[in-house]
Amino acid sequence: MTRLAAILSEQKMTYTAVASRAHLQARTVRQLATGETPIDNVAVGTVRRIAAALAIPVGVLMEPEVPYPGDTAMTRPARLSTAIREVMWSGVSVAYASPVETAEPDEISTASPDEFFADMPAVDDRRG
Amino acid sequence: MTVGAEVYRALDESDDLSAGDIAYLSLARTRVVGEAPPGDVFDPVGRIPAYPRPALFPLPHAREIAVDTMFGLVVTHSCEIDRHKNRAASADHFDCRLTVAPIVPEPAVRLVGGDGDQAAAWAAIEANEPVAALFLPPVPDVSGLAPGVDPLPWPRSFADFRGLTTVSRRMVQADRLFGLAPEYLGMLQRQLARFFTWRDLARHELVAALVGRRIVDAIPLNAKGDRLRVALLADDASSVTVELRTR
Repeated sequence: MTRLAAILSEQKMTYTAVASRAHLQARTVRQLATGETPIDNVAVGTVRRIAAALAIPVGVLMEPEVPYPGDTAMTRPARLSTAIREVMWSGVSVAYASPVETAEPDEISTASPDEFFADMPAVDDRRG
Repeated sequence: MTVGAEVYRALDESDDLSAGDIAYLSLARTRVVGEAPPGDVFDPVGRIPAYPRPALFPLPHAREIAVDTMFGLVVTHSCEIDRHKNRAASADHFDCRLTVAPIVPEPAVRLVGGDGDQAAAWAAIEANEPVAALFLPPVPDVSGLAPGVDPLPWPRSFADFRGLTTVSRRMVQADRLFGLAPEYLGMLQRQLARFFTWRDLARHELVAALVGRRIVDAIPLNAKGDRLRVALLADDASSVTVELRTR
């Protein structure tokens, strides 16, 4: 999810509403929000108008510099360091379906791995 | 001892790939354009979340690829990863895809569903209660496990089995950060076994719904070893499949 999409979700704003305030086409806002058009590829004026419509600083809309896995322009440690900063500690919190079930936890959930597998015969001794 | 040493282990780039390796990856899913995850209406237990920050790439015929760049946990069993050794084949040309689960960090998401209590949800995840998640504890300084990487903290997170996908061996090899310690691999195996085998059987409400009904037929489905699967048909035409052990 792009920063713009996250902000629209936070502010409960539609593409059309933002586009109307910013005097842009709704399609332009949608393409930027979905990432179909990277925000770096549009005119600065367009970004400024969207930022003004949302009453936020322009910089907030810019996507972080996330390195590509395997990007040879960076060393492996530098790539991983940047990835931890930008991916694991992303400043934008997006909605994500919780894995927690609504039912009561089953008794297996408290069993240690040793207890869990204790009664299980080895299926194939050749495999680890 | 490094904090987290009971859960994580350091990796050298030359180490063999293994279950429990954590790597920085691009994960992809194809879908119909604009298709949303089914959500609670479809299945409150098996709901499948979208990637947190997907980039979308259009395909012909109203299809698209959602790609997210994130850390992932290798869940393919180590012996399966090493199978090429038994076949005298190159690791690059035999079973070249590994199954990985996306890693979802606490600072990047707001968990939705249930009563919305974030603290309670994370407490359950921390106790490895959900069948679809493996808790990954925080590390105050990853450089202790990944030499050369900046001294950064690793946040509380979980590997989400609902988002399993496959990637190539070389992608995992290129950007591995660290791996799970042998002590914690047992927990990964337990959670995977729960996720794949007992997920449906944990639906107690299906069995509870049969109370008060009369069983009108018991249809043996199949038997394997000491296990027998039987479909029980109730007088209101509802049914449930149970597995019996014969000893």
